[in-house]
Amino acid sequence: MRQVSFRLVLLSFLLAYVCHLMPWSGLALWLKPEFMLLVLIYWLLRAPYLCNVGSAWLVGLAIDLATGSLLGQHALVYAFTAFLAVSYHRRLTLFNVWQQAAYVLILLVIERSLLFVLKIFSGGENPGLIYWTACLTGLVVWLLVSFSRFGLHLQSRKV
Amino acid sequence: MASPLELHHPPAFFVSGPSPFAKLIFFVALSIALMAVDSRMQYLNKIRTGFISVTSPLQAIANAPSELYQSLARQLVTRAELIKKNDRLTKQAMQNSMILQRFKSLEIENSRLRNLLVAAQTSILPSKLGEIVHMGRDPFVHKVTVNLGSHHKIVPGQAVIDDKGVIGQVTNVYSNSSEVTLITDKSLSIPIQIERNGLRAVAFGRGRDYTLDLPYLPANVDILKDDILITSGIDGVYPEGLVVAKIASITHQQDSPFANIVAVPVAGVMNHRQLLLLNLPQKIEVDEKVNRVIPPANIKTKDLMPIGITTNQLSPVLTKPALANTVARTVIDNPSQQSAIAKLATVKPAIIQSAITTTLAAEPTSKPAVRSSVRSAPKPANIVEPAHAPG
Repeated sequence: MRQVSFRLVLLSFLLAYVCHLMPWSGLALWLKPEFMLLVLIYWLLRAPYLCNVGSAWLVGLAIDLATGSLLGQHALVYAFTAFLAVSYHRRLTLFNVWQQAAYVLILLVIERSLLFVLKIFSGGENPGLIYWTACLTGLVVWLLVSFSRFGLHLQSRKV
Repeated sequence: MASPLELHHPPAFFVSGPSPFAKLIFFVALSIALMAVDSRMQYLNKIRTGFISVTSPLQAIANAPSELYQSLARQLVTRAELIKKNDRLTKQAMQNSMILQRFKSLEIENSRLRNLLVAAQTSILPSKLGEIVHMGRDPFVHKVTVNLGSHHKIVPGQAVIDDKGVIGQVTNVYSNSSEVTLITDKSLSIPIQIERNGLRAVAFGRGRDYTLDLPYLPANVDILKDDILITSGIDGVYPEGLVVAKIASITHQQDSPFANIVAVPVAGVMNHRQLLLLNLPQKIEVDEKVNRVIPPANIKTKDLMPIGITTNQLSPVLTKPALANTVARTVIDNPSQQSAIAKLATVKPAIIQSAITTTLAAEPTSKPAVRSSVRSAPKPANIVEPAHAPG
């Protein structure tokens, strides 16, 4: 099978980071999908030898440094989500597009809930249900990627 | 002809190295250690500062589309809009200049009246003009980033205002930018005064929906909807008299003796990008014999604004040495009202006692010795420490 070039992975993460750093404000800040997490899950499913729990932890740390929150919150949550994705990796590649999308939605919801718990413990306020709309927008972005040229590599057989 | 099977390649199945679970345990432990270190100690701030300076080109790239859009919008505005805006601004400038003329004469009259009452004087705080670079990225924390940093001699703790009122305080300073926490953030509070009747209270940020909370006020407090709240200047951080917020709702709950008061800040972070960063107030010395302030060397006497004080009401805007001296003088003149005065004052009894002894030593007349029965006074209720913002 074709080896995935490390440069492509790095480029995609850089692009997602730039999207994350954009000046989102107001309602858009709540609806913003977690670009880095989606790119992470994509590479985890496609090339787990390149991108694994360690890389997930580093990506989470980068998000923490950029966001100004407590160092280690996003790192912990991303590492846990990556673990969930990797441990079901072999089964995931047999799913079709919609089943994979459902699993990714579950991963996103788990990630948001963990982050919510961590933020409440470190003194945040309850933001309400709008906090979880980022999962839905993330799902939309994942579906876009799945149906595009890059999504072909996620399936081990055609739908 | 490429068959469909050649177009996509199945994902890799075999990964070597420690099992994912072992990796997870390791990284979870590492994350918890990092969170503990970051929340208790400040070691990791250097890493954060370094990281932000490294990723500043990425940040510039990320800001580029919105900057482009805004500059395009400014270029493509129609002539009719510009004429309308011009008319509106001219009218506003005329109204402002009328008010300003009255203000200058009122200011002179005010300082003359205050000079009649013997008092200490404070100085007007110099400030720097900054611009908002972007709003905070975390919806849990109300912060904005400003384009002035340690290069421009900004220090944490400085007050930030805009033309309408108080915005917040500087909490983190990097080399070319700094983070300003808004007063609506959960970690900040600001001592205020109701403009109408002078009642003092402290307003806390609630951390959600951009409102302020005034807790611990009894249910029968004299406060009405649409009252304006101004800073009382007690904390020594925000100057006195700046508009903070407007009361939006007052409700009473049956089971609580306190009223539930919600205020909406007047300053609009959403409206415009220019902010004023005020310098921290300087310390001021007091000349004990004459009970007037010795101004710092670089401030002219005509720039000083006096503050009024009467013997039965001590203004807390005075700095501590000035206040101690005034309390000492009042206690010496009225030994019978000593305890009442001590309750009003917000200075430690030890400081008052030392001020009394120095004042008595300087005086040649014989007055009855003043006992050190000054009871401990309540501390000023302000908590404006630039704490590390949660999450």
